[in-house]
Amino acid sequence: MLSTLELSPQVLDAQAPIRIAVKNLDFYYGEHKALKNVNLSFRDRHVTALIGPSGCGKSTLLRIFNRIYSLYPEQRATGEVLLDGRNVISNDVDVNELRSRIGMVFQKPTPFPMSIYDNVAFGIRLYEKPPKSELDDRVEGALRRSALWDEVKDKLKSSGMGLSGGQQQRLCIARTIAQKPEVILFDEPTSALDPISTGKIEDLLEQLKSDFTIVIVTHNMQQAARVSQYTAFMYLGEVVEFDATNTIFMNPNKKQTQDYVTGRFG
Amino acid sequence: MNQTPPAAPAMTPEVPWGRVRPARRNADRLMKIIATAFTLVAITVLFWILGMLVVKGIGGLSAGTFTQVTPGPGSEGGGLANAIVGSAVLTFLGIALATPIGVLAGTYLAEYGRGSKLANLIRFINDILLSAPSILIGLFVYVILVEPFRGYSGWAGGVALGIIAIPVIVRTTEDMLRLVPAPLREAGSALGAPPSVVITAITWRAAKSGMVTGILLALARIAGETAPLLFTALNNNFWFSPTLVGGVSNLPVTIYQFASAPYENWQQLAWAGSLIITVSILLLSLIARRIVRGGK
Repeated sequence: MLSTLELSPQVLDAQAPIRIAVKNLDFYYGEHKALKNVNLSFRDRHVTALIGPSGCGKSTLLRIFNRIYSLYPEQRATGEVLLDGRNVISNDVDVNELRSRIGMVFQKPTPFPMSIYDNVAFGIRLYEKPPKSELDDRVEGALRRSALWDEVKDKLKSSGMGLSGGQQQRLCIARTIAQKPEVILFDEPTSALDPISTGKIEDLLEQLKSDFTIVIVTHNMQQAARVSQYTAFMYLGEVVEFDATNTIFMNPNKKQTQDYVTGRFG
Repeated sequence: MNQTPPAAPAMTPEVPWGRVRPARRNADRLMKIIATAFTLVAITVLFWILGMLVVKGIGGLSAGTFTQVTPGPGSEGGGLANAIVGSAVLTFLGIALATPIGVLAGTYLAEYGRGSKLANLIRFINDILLSAPSILIGLFVYVILVEPFRGYSGWAGGVALGIIAIPVIVRTTEDMLRLVPAPLREAGSALGAPPSVVITAITWRAAKSGMVTGILLALARIAGETAPLLFTALNNNFWFSPTLVGGVSNLPVTIYQFASAPYENWQQLAWAGSLIITVSILLLSLIARRIVRGGK
């Protein structure tokens, strides 16, 4: 299996600054401790993949970065998640402003019940009041970058709900990048899509990493190998191993990692 | 493709059938017959009512029904114009009062108060209000709005109808908002939208058709209410004052009074009024269904 993995060209920039640093992070669903002392760092303009079996805490970790967990009062995090040096899980952070700087794409496509244009403009309008022509340009630019423009340019006024699943997911990506965030979180963005749509999204990730810091949670190890430069393997709420993707898949340090990436468990 | 196809393999030996006993098959059929029969009974009653309404009501319908006011005791002819307009005004007042309260309370229950003790208490009380006898609500409004002002009024009638409509709207609004998938809210929040924007721009929009249907159902419900109007809007046989002070004529109470009176023309008008209310509610329900389908 290892030899058949198709690894992405690994251009690791060792000088790239760290965009997000996670330090001594614990997370609780009520009484249940779901993350235990997580320490990780995410490099600017790189794709970092979080892999591991179901329930290992990878989605939980992702949902801490933009504080989306704090919609649910019984969930809480302790420790540090530094975005550009600022601890985002402290109470004095404005979560809405934080979320405008850290975009998120979900497992199932979540188009809003409004036109394609309004879907993409939604995030822009929340924090900026650009003139109409500039807004049009930003919407078009975002749809072009998400490789959706040619398919929707003649029906921008029709509902976003009418698109296919793969198109809806690219619409959600367009909506996220239109807001010009620094970081984009992908929570298993292709697990509800067919292989062709999945391929398009993976190509997009490759394009997007020149402008954004990307963190992707995936169940699909080939996907992690194809799209990411760094990979963290998690198990039972802990980070087992974190390294360059090539190392994790070809020459892991820990036996547990080796067993997982070769499909022996998980 | 030059291989000769292999010889057809032999069938596996036959296993005897007969596990399903005839008794079970008969019980199965009987269940279907009983269910069908009782459905027919229910439908028959419905069509009986509708048929009787059409047969008896259509004779009382004429142009005069919609242009003339309700006749006094012993006078000839007359129509229902004042009662129809009065009913429309009272129903509109009720729904205008109940819609903002009901929608916002339902929104609180579904969006802000999820899982809180206060929300559970409000939901419980709302369910009680939903099944409260409507005559009680009429009495309540009589005590707070009729007695203190020493007179019946359309405003009191509108408030009484509104109180009946509120729990219906609260319930449907909450139910419809709960059907909106959580990831849609999360996606809105993930773009940095505060809860108020997520609710008004995303969840309300996603639940719009269901919420409108709930309001129309509440409208249909209060259009035919009689008991709460008996002590509040009362009823009379002339055009009501534009200030709605004093009684306001309306269809349900007119039907109640005219149907039990000894005058032939009153009884005719009672049937005509019943037909008008029923057809209006039918139309409202059809519109509500259309909206639901249009939203899907």
